[in-house]
Amino acid sequence: MSRTRTIALLGQPNSGKSTIFNNLTGMHQHVGNWPGKTVEKKEGTFTHGENTYKVADLPGSYSLSANSEEEIVTRDYIAKNDVDLVCVLADASQLERSMYMLADYAGMKTPVMLVLTMMDVAKEKGKKVDVTKLSERLGIEVCSIVAYDRKNYDEFYNSIDRAIQTGKTLQCEELYAFIKNSEIAEIFEEYVGIAKVIASDRRPEEWIAMKLLEGDDAIRMQLAIKGRKDITPAEAGALYVSDARFKWIANVLDGAVEDKKTTAELLTKFDKKAIGPRSGFWVAIGMMIAALMSAMIVASPMMGLGGALPSLLNPLLDSALGGVGVADDIIHFIKATLVTSLGWVVSMVGFIFAMNFVFGILEEVGYMARVSYVFDRSMSRIGLQGKAMMPMIMGFGCTMGSTSGARVIDSYGQRIMTIAVAWAVPCGATFVVIPTLANAFFGGTGGMLVMLLIFVVMFFHIVLTAKVFGRKLNPAEERTGMIMELPPYHKPRWGFIFKNSLMRMWDVFKKAFSIELIVCIVFYFLSYSNSGIEGSVLYKFGTFIEPVSEFFGLRWQTFMAFFAAMLSKEAVLGVLSAIFANSGSVIDTTTGLAATSDNIAQVVAAAIPKAEALAFIIAVTFNIPCLQAVVSTYNETHSAKWTAKIGGYYILTALVLATVVYHVAALFM
Amino acid sequence: MNLAELEQGRRAIIVQIDGDQRYLSRITSIGLNVGCKVEMLQNAKKKPLLIYGRDTMIALNREESKRIKVEVNA
Repeated sequence: MSRTRTIALLGQPNSGKSTIFNNLTGMHQHVGNWPGKTVEKKEGTFTHGENTYKVADLPGSYSLSANSEEEIVTRDYIAKNDVDLVCVLADASQLERSMYMLADYAGMKTPVMLVLTMMDVAKEKGKKVDVTKLSERLGIEVCSIVAYDRKNYDEFYNSIDRAIQTGKTLQCEELYAFIKNSEIAEIFEEYVGIAKVIASDRRPEEWIAMKLLEGDDAIRMQLAIKGRKDITPAEAGALYVSDARFKWIANVLDGAVEDKKTTAELLTKFDKKAIGPRSGFWVAIGMMIAALMSAMIVASPMMGLGGALPSLLNPLLDSALGGVGVADDIIHFIKATLVTSLGWVVSMVGFIFAMNFVFGILEEVGYMARVSYVFDRSMSRIGLQGKAMMPMIMGFGCTMGSTSGARVIDSYGQRIMTIAVAWAVPCGATFVVIPTLANAFFGGTGGMLVMLLIFVVMFFHIVLTAKVFGRKLNPAEERTGMIMELPPYHKPRWGFIFKNSLMRMWDVFKKAFSIELIVCIVFYFLSYSNSGIEGSVLYKFGTFIEPVSEFFGLRWQTFMAFFAAMLSKEAVLGVLSAIFANSGSVIDTTTGLAATSDNIAQVVAAAIPKAEALAFIIAVTFNIPCLQAVVSTYNETHSAKWTAKIGGYYILTALVLATVVYHVAALFM
Repeated sequence: MNLAELEQGRRAIIVQIDGDQRYLSRITSIGLNVGCKVEMLQNAKKKPLLIYGRDTMIALNREESKRIKVEVNA
């Protein structure tokens, strides 16, 4: 008899939850969103013995309170009847604190087990945990695990099976006893009575009453629907409840944890620098430069391969397909779509691999949390976590870097926000294309001024974008000050991170390739023409819409280049070259099949008025960065809706910027 | 005195926490409740506070931390 068993992982940040999830499920993961919520849904499957297991990686937070959408999703999930087992994780090296999740869970009647992680760290700290004793006291399965080492998972698998078979739930009479013996005992009893109307088998009235004592908004709302709006709030109830929980934890741990206090320094030498009031900033800047450079180095083989693919494959195609009589047009079509998108995707996943690897190490080592601390003040002003600084700086290298780097942001909403904001950071390719144009149009000094203008616009763009997207994703009234653990430094597990990054890369490759191929094919037909540029749909559309685009300051040529720049920044020069220097068709210059004319910047400078040029430069810089950025944004957000929103917002703002710049510049130029 | 006034290197015990339920549940769920011993690791102007409590280092928003009342150990 075998059926799919559903288990859920629940744990505080830094408890090793994602590591366990990755090790359990490997490639069998599905990441999406909870319907109607801006909360990431991570599920996966694995088989052990004859059984198949479905695992949900529930969003991590410090407790089960209703302070965020994430926590509410988590709570609702574990109260569902089809969950066979909830694995609550706790960090063995700081059990007192990390058992709080279990203490908060206590009372729920969904079968549960406790998984102690970081046993190796605990040992180093001189702590010994008696697993058997804990199991007896709690009345549930308890097992210990070194999360990153798959070889020691056997005990974990066995515990899961035992826990599911026995279906044990936590003994929590002692926990309630602490409340019943406190000053708020009467209120608790009253709440238990009230709670009956919304209680269920798995979420009994006592658990709800505890939440009510905490002043839980979600519970109050559920009760209000049932007509109970008259509940008197318990003064500082949350303090009594947490007090009871910590007493309960102390009771459970008493005698089960041996703690030979080590006299290690609380702040290591490195940490004194890394979080120092002044030095912290410079360490972070140094780390970011180092991270950007190592990401570039790690990515370079794949990016090189991606870039070289067309020149490797195209001659092969010519001889192989040409030899058997396939028409040139078809070969050309394959080159422009299949080979181009393959090359793009290969370089893209190379970069994504590198970002996952480098950021994975920084995160795993524990440094990322320090960045959050160092930049908390500046970033919290625009509603982002301090950590968001890291991916944003990566954006100067490549927007894919910032989008895939945004995965270090643990709140899904803030992650989308970080990505949206980071798009405004001009990328490496922009810094190649734009100065070339700016210098040709405005000379050396003028070119510098244009670059300066770009930085000023970037600054305001970031602030505005954070405001626009923050309204929904991190509303000002829900923002809270920093309360965050800075975990101790760990040695990085290179092999583990490497393997994870590889899996991630393969996953992205599968999704991205088809999207990019389709876009290339669409663009191919839009720009297809057998009679110069004038025969293409793009041209017809461009000239048709010119009366409108002229309002933005862009005539059909620049508007078309603006359009092509959404595929790749390098296409800007290519398309202008196709139009003004007749150096090949638009599709060929966009996809790199035809070379850009050497002096294209000069040719263009002679043909385009300066005000239009400035509007064009700004519009291109702050447009959708490139197709890769869009695809990697889709990959990170798993949401076509949010990707489209960000994309639409950037096209719109780019055109607004162009309009403003054009009309202001036209007064002077 | 409040936590933000605790000097670097000093130890204290939390005696009172004020604030709305939301803040109370957030601060206690990370391990800081009444009776918890803390040590100030870094208290630099305009930066979040860095304290050591319940076996780990915790960063706290400075403004919010003024709601936490502490007593220095004798």
